[in-house]
Amino acid sequence: MLSAALAIASKDLRLLLSRGTGLVQALLLGLLLIFVFSLSQRVGEVMGPQGAAAIFWLASAFCQVLIFNTLFAIEEANGARFGLLLAPVPVQAVWLGKGIAGFTLLLCAQAVFLPAAIVFLGQTVSPLWHVGLATVLLADVGIVALGALLGALSQGQAARESLLSIVLFPLLVPVLLAGIRVGAAAFADDIPEGVESWLGLVAAFDALFLGAGIVLFPFVYGGEE
Amino acid sequence: MLLRLTRVAKFYGNRLVIKDVSFEVSAGTVTLLAGPNGAGKSTLLKLMAGLSRPSAGSVEHGAAPDASGDALGYLGHQTFIYPELTAFENLAFWARLHGLAPERCSEEALLAALERMELKRFAFERAGGFSRGMAQRLNLARVLLLSPSLLLLDEPGTGLDTRSMAILHREIAAARDRGAGIVWISHSVAEDLARADRVLAIADKRVVYSGPAADYVPEAVAC
Amino acid sequence: MQTNRLSPAMPLVGIVAGLALALCQYMIFVYAPVEQTMGIVQKIFYFHMPLAWWSLISFLTVFVASIAFLRTRNWKWDALSGAAAEVGVLFSGLALITGSIWGRHSWGVWWTWDPRLTTTLVMWFVYAGYLVLRTLDLPRERLGTVSAVVGIVAFLDVPLVFLSARLWRSIHPAVFASKGGGLEAEMKTTVIACIVAFGFLWVALTWLRAAQRRMAARIDVLATQTTI
Repeated sequence: MLSAALAIASKDLRLLLSRGTGLVQALLLGLLLIFVFSLSQRVGEVMGPQGAAAIFWLASAFCQVLIFNTLFAIEEANGARFGLLLAPVPVQAVWLGKGIAGFTLLLCAQAVFLPAAIVFLGQTVSPLWHVGLATVLLADVGIVALGALLGALSQGQAARESLLSIVLFPLLVPVLLAGIRVGAAAFADDIPEGVESWLGLVAAFDALFLGAGIVLFPFVYGGEE
Repeated sequence: MLLRLTRVAKFYGNRLVIKDVSFEVSAGTVTLLAGPNGAGKSTLLKLMAGLSRPSAGSVEHGAAPDASGDALGYLGHQTFIYPELTAFENLAFWARLHGLAPERCSEEALLAALERMELKRFAFERAGGFSRGMAQRLNLARVLLLSPSLLLLDEPGTGLDTRSMAILHREIAAARDRGAGIVWISHSVAEDLARADRVLAIADKRVVYSGPAADYVPEAVAC
Repeated sequence: MQTNRLSPAMPLVGIVAGLALALCQYMIFVYAPVEQTMGIVQKIFYFHMPLAWWSLISFLTVFVASIAFLRTRNWKWDALSGAAAEVGVLFSGLALITGSIWGRHSWGVWWTWDPRLTTTLVMWFVYAGYLVLRTLDLPRERLGTVSAVVGIVAFLDVPLVFLSARLWRSIHPAVFASKGGGLEAEMKTTVIACIVAFGFLWVALTWLRAAQRRMAARIDVLATQTTI
């Protein structure tokens, strides 16, 4: 199953990174968000670290909705979904493959968003930066697990991006809160409640939705029209 | 026995598409699936492929005679092609996804498969620029690479040029000689009847003929 | 074959709910004493608490019915989860409004990061999205499956949302300790009575909506059968 998942992920990455414009659109949207929010500061004013972290995660969340919509739309164009379903591997391999591809793409996008947030929103990097990065990685796992499950709802192009975000965003609240808090700490070196409980929460989220993805994905991804 | 359907029925929502189909596919035979448009042929083929679950009855897949081949190949009018990848990359992806043995998905093996489909010259061109016939031949190359014991064809000939059509017919015959069981929905039944061993005709949501191709009279259901 | 008639017990539950709610009005405004510091506004608590309670039960019902639907493919579970989600969104919406009025009076703010209020708000968003999803123009099988999956995922999220909201609040000044603490005996009795009465209302509403959904599906069948 892992090799099939890797085959799907590498195929998707090749499609989107080398030739497609899928990631560009998501990147531009995220950058625009960061830029527009930077207008909320007066000239010479610096945004609080928590505000900056919130904008970073908002950009990431929107970006990942676009990423997963694109990843699943690829399979619809010439009916390749049926090909994936006919392969002698568990259908969860598709979920895993899309998840791995989405994770990579989201990290690429965040590698752009993070410096953009620091520059446009006037942030500094504190000694807690490595905790911040670890949280980004950990939070992305959960976000991607859920995104790869719910992204499959767009199968057959019935559910659009707007609907996916309506369903997905509130579900992401726990990870987003954790990301924002620890992110603010990484910018400002100040987190009175400690990072351990937040990291624990994100790990629980990851475990829960990785499990939910494995169990539930076969129901949402099938050969029915 | 490669495939057995027992009293299969399928609803889409509340709409009955097909009912009470019992049918068997054995090795080395070509079965033509005939019937008017909208009779439920494609639905039946999807049920056979396991892409869709029957609302009633059962679909059983038998073991392949030799374990080397993939159990199932499905060739529909959709080409399963990623337009942004080259023909070679497309083929390599499917080979890898199906976990073919290294000697069957080596570069030489893939190029040989393309050669057989007369696509070797275009191996490293974007598949998105292919004509309908070339795209369908690439699709056929994908299916044959898996050397399936059960081959399901859903109007693969639609929109094909004569050369592509000839290749398609050649490969269907070759697959049968190799011992594969083939179920074939053709858009020109009268013409392809000679290439078939058996006919399963459906009309009005049920089976109206199931037997040797020689005894089948197409006019009986052409309404 | 499913029956086309409504169960005779259903109107009965509705009548009981009506009577019980009337009795609750009496208990709230006559039997229970007026609270010392909050005054008459404290009475809103008797609505807020049962609404919040039963909205959570609604979402639990969606969760259980969704699992049952995926396992059995019986459409009555789909109808039940749709109905429970509707009632849940209604109840949690009302719970948010009453909670907000309460907060304004008791702490001087319309909104606070109380973990329970926050969880209710997030759930309101999730299940409102779920209801939008259910209106999509998809084949019935697919819509049922997709809704069930979202119904399951949504409920799995509830404890995490609560935990994260509680952690989040620890960085804000805690504006209150606990809102239900130190109730007088009459107040407690009234709260329990209200929870029970709203329970009847909940059962009546959910039952009615589920039955309506099943009938609508039945009419669809008849309509398609006659047109073809």
